[in-house]
Amino acid sequence: MASYDYIKNVEELSVMRKTETAVVKRSLPSWIRSSNLKLQALLLLVILITVFARVLPLEMQKRIVNEAIRFGEIQLLFLYCGLYLAAVVIATGLKYLISALQNLIGERALADMRKALYHHILTLPLNFFRKTQPGLVVSSLVTELASAGNFVGMSIGVPVASILTLLAFAGYLIWLNPLLAGISLSIYPMVLILLPRLQQQANKANKRRVDTTRTLSGKIGEAISGVHEIHGNGSYRIENRRYDRMVDKLYKIRIVWNLYKFSVKSVNNFFNNLSPFLIFIVGGYLSIKGRLDLGALVAFISAQEKIYDPWKELIAFYQVYQDASVRYKRTMEYFDELPEHTLEPDDREPYELEGSIEVKDLSFQVEGGIQLLDGINLSLTPGEQLALVGFSGSGKSTLAQCVGQLYKYTGGHVLLGGEEVTDLSKKDMIHNIGFVSQTPFTFEGTIKDNILYSCAAKLGSDEISESDAMPSLDDMIEALQQTGIFVDVLRFGLNTILVYDEHQDLAAKIVRVRDHFKREFGEELADYVEFFAEDNYLYHSTIAANLTFGSPNIESFTLQNLAVNDYFLRFLDKADLTRPLLTLGAELCRQTVDILGDLPPEKVFFEQSPITADELGEYKILAVRLAKTKLHRLSPDDRTALLRLALRFVPGRHKMVGMPSILEELILEGRALFKENISKDNPGALTFYQASEYIYSQTILDNIFFGKTKTINPQAEEKIDQSIIQVLIEEDLLETIVEIGMEFQVGSKGDRLSGGQRQKLAIARVFLKAPRVLIMDEATSALDNKSQARIQSLLDTRWKGQSTLIAVVHRLDIIKKYDKIAVMKAGRIGEMGPYDDLIAKKGMLYELIYGKKTSS
Amino acid sequence: MDFFSALSLQALKVFAYLFTREMFKPGDYLFRQDDNDGIAFYILSGTAEVVRKDESGEFSLGKYGEGEFLGGLVLLGDMRRLFSLKAVTDMSCLVMTREKFIKALEQFPELIPKVLETMVDRIRSWEERLLIDQDALCASCKKKVGVSLV
Repeated sequence: MASYDYIKNVEELSVMRKTETAVVKRSLPSWIRSSNLKLQALLLLVILITVFARVLPLEMQKRIVNEAIRFGEIQLLFLYCGLYLAAVVIATGLKYLISALQNLIGERALADMRKALYHHILTLPLNFFRKTQPGLVVSSLVTELASAGNFVGMSIGVPVASILTLLAFAGYLIWLNPLLAGISLSIYPMVLILLPRLQQQANKANKRRVDTTRTLSGKIGEAISGVHEIHGNGSYRIENRRYDRMVDKLYKIRIVWNLYKFSVKSVNNFFNNLSPFLIFIVGGYLSIKGRLDLGALVAFISAQEKIYDPWKELIAFYQVYQDASVRYKRTMEYFDELPEHTLEPDDREPYELEGSIEVKDLSFQVEGGIQLLDGINLSLTPGEQLALVGFSGSGKSTLAQCVGQLYKYTGGHVLLGGEEVTDLSKKDMIHNIGFVSQTPFTFEGTIKDNILYSCAAKLGSDEISESDAMPSLDDMIEALQQTGIFVDVLRFGLNTILVYDEHQDLAAKIVRVRDHFKREFGEELADYVEFFAEDNYLYHSTIAANLTFGSPNIESFTLQNLAVNDYFLRFLDKADLTRPLLTLGAELCRQTVDILGDLPPEKVFFEQSPITADELGEYKILAVRLAKTKLHRLSPDDRTALLRLALRFVPGRHKMVGMPSILEELILEGRALFKENISKDNPGALTFYQASEYIYSQTILDNIFFGKTKTINPQAEEKIDQSIIQVLIEEDLLETIVEIGMEFQVGSKGDRLSGGQRQKLAIARVFLKAPRVLIMDEATSALDNKSQARIQSLLDTRWKGQSTLIAVVHRLDIIKKYDKIAVMKAGRIGEMGPYDDLIAKKGMLYELIYGKKTSS
Repeated sequence: MDFFSALSLQALKVFAYLFTREMFKPGDYLFRQDDNDGIAFYILSGTAEVVRKDESGEFSLGKYGEGEFLGGLVLLGDMRRLFSLKAVTDMSCLVMTREKFIKALEQFPELIPKVLETMVDRIRSWEERLLIDQDALCASCKKKVGVSLV
């Protein structure tokens, strides 16, 4: 819930406001101005001190030679050396401080840029994203802007420091010896003429590099999001070729770019190395002739070397600046489009519109003059329901999207509660409209996050604390029930594994439910559930569970570790189980590899296999060894692998090998022996399955059962669900479990949910918001019949008269109760009216439902 | 199971592995009208009844028993059920889902022609049987035969 914090919203809002001055129009230097100026000033101050600390050692150097050594003054030597050392230490410390400050300023600017650009990108019209691959947006935000941030950090510190140092050294050199100084400084004008020319070439290459990288990331994004199509067509080669071609192009551009960059450095280096040569010639000559003392020459040469450092930094800065501005400009240019609608009204609260819809002469044209909608007229009073039907491509979704402000219509009017939709802000829209799209999107997070998504967005900028305005648990549960995802969420809850430290109270309650359940449904469900019983072999549990008959409390007794647990291995020996289990493991390995050996790692193939898809390769090799080697000659590692396989064998699920009855006997014997031993040796290691104890290693469901389900048959699951729900209601725990279920993580893009579940969540999310106008674009297309009928009947009863509804409908058997039906064809409304009228007319709707000509 | 009669040994192993066994009690639905469940059943024991429901009520359309394979067509593609199948006695079935079947078929593409051939043959012989005892059909029903012409 913390994510809906008011403070955060305000912060986001303020960033959003900044976006309104169009981040894409900002120049790179403008980021320097908006960076933290106090920090920049501090940086400047530090730099000035550093410059002084850098010059001091030079003077000391000269004095050490000229005064201390020459006249044998030990005292002076110590003094000057001490000063020298102090200056070096201070310079180093300050240098670090400078880097730290620059880093701080630069990273902050980068973060601001990334935020502002991202906020801007999200507001761009849908059309923009039709031609823009996600990969491109990623590379723009993540890589291309980085150098710009870097530049902002360096922008004041580096040039000022370098130039000041340069001037200081130059002044010092002139003071030392004007002639030599003139000679050594004479090279820099030459560099200044040459470098920009080279840099220009580098910039050109850089521009091409940015563009090509952009296409490349777009290409990668496209291939990854369409990877099912690539697998389906086996078109690896085609895709590889396309990708390779682009990489090759990028490779060439990068080489050229780097060569130019290096040449800038090389030219610079060359001239810098040239100047000592001049000094040696001239300075050496003067010294030999006795017109220059040796100390002065030494000082001059080392000062002259030092001048190279700031110069190098200056050139590097120049290169960073050039690179950053090319990348920055290229990136900002690409996203330089305007949102089609304002985000928020400037000086008023969002409208509370009444739910009437008036469409007048609406048309929508896309690039290339294609007319998607043409001359649409319709009107709905508040609470009226309209179904849009027609062949695919007839424009029904487009019409719904135009009304929902997802597309900006190009002609005519859409009036929502009397207001023109184009002129409304996004905030007005979300306050009054609920839109369920054809392909709803589920975001990473919990079910709860996803259900509250629309409400949170609506309330986001209101100054209301969450507790007042956000839907209550009861509201959420109601929405779950309405959309028919309640049982699914309950299942998620039931499949949760509780944590001892957090849930002891709940665990105690569930043990109570367990008794209740057994009493009431034990007999009825005996066919579907295998209850834990100390004297019976459990065919739907692992061999490990059958042996230990308890759940591990310490790491070394978990299923994965038992095969390497020395205590357990000794026990297996003692119980005469090692050999039979190894034999079983070998048989499992052989049979599974025989069946699955050549299949791809698809989930469906491995659901009934003791070997996981990841392990298959390893066991394939082991199977080959097994064919050649006797069991007792196998390496310890191989034996562990086989034992591990045997211990996870579940005869009820892994059908490739039968369970030998003699092994069953042995295991039941072993179970008793194990309990005896471990109770003595390490009583805390496991909690035995006991009807009075909660089992923390297992799900809530298995705990209620005190057993395992035998079947995945939907009939049986339904019966089980119903009985569990009944017991939970009686024990007043239903809501608690559903609440736990709502914490289920849906995975990235909701990949842990089915298509139907995702669609139900999307509907629940909008129902919870209870908008005045509901637009559903084939919102129930992925649902099974029952769920679809349930939602339709809700629309027919609960929402009728409450919310105005525009529903794009694909299936024609659910439209009878709509107030109006509009049949669309080629972007126009062919006919419109109540169901019975249209059928009686035997027009287009009749044709759609019964075919062109009936055969009678 | 003429579907599986001509499989290679390796393919047969994979398909056999992918079948799971399910039990049903009298009154349980194996599948329901209008659902798109995508499941095929091979009946090991017991009897099931085909039922269709429309506006005039529910009527039974015959029974299936041991050794019969139902739902070959459903494995091949999306299909909403026109009938329900309801267990009359205790039943034990082998069950295959469309997802598994299609994924497995992708691994053995050489089977695809065989599968299609079996399907075509089944549809043809179905209609042939219908035509042979067409005396039992009403006059207007006779005009509507011709599924094998699609």
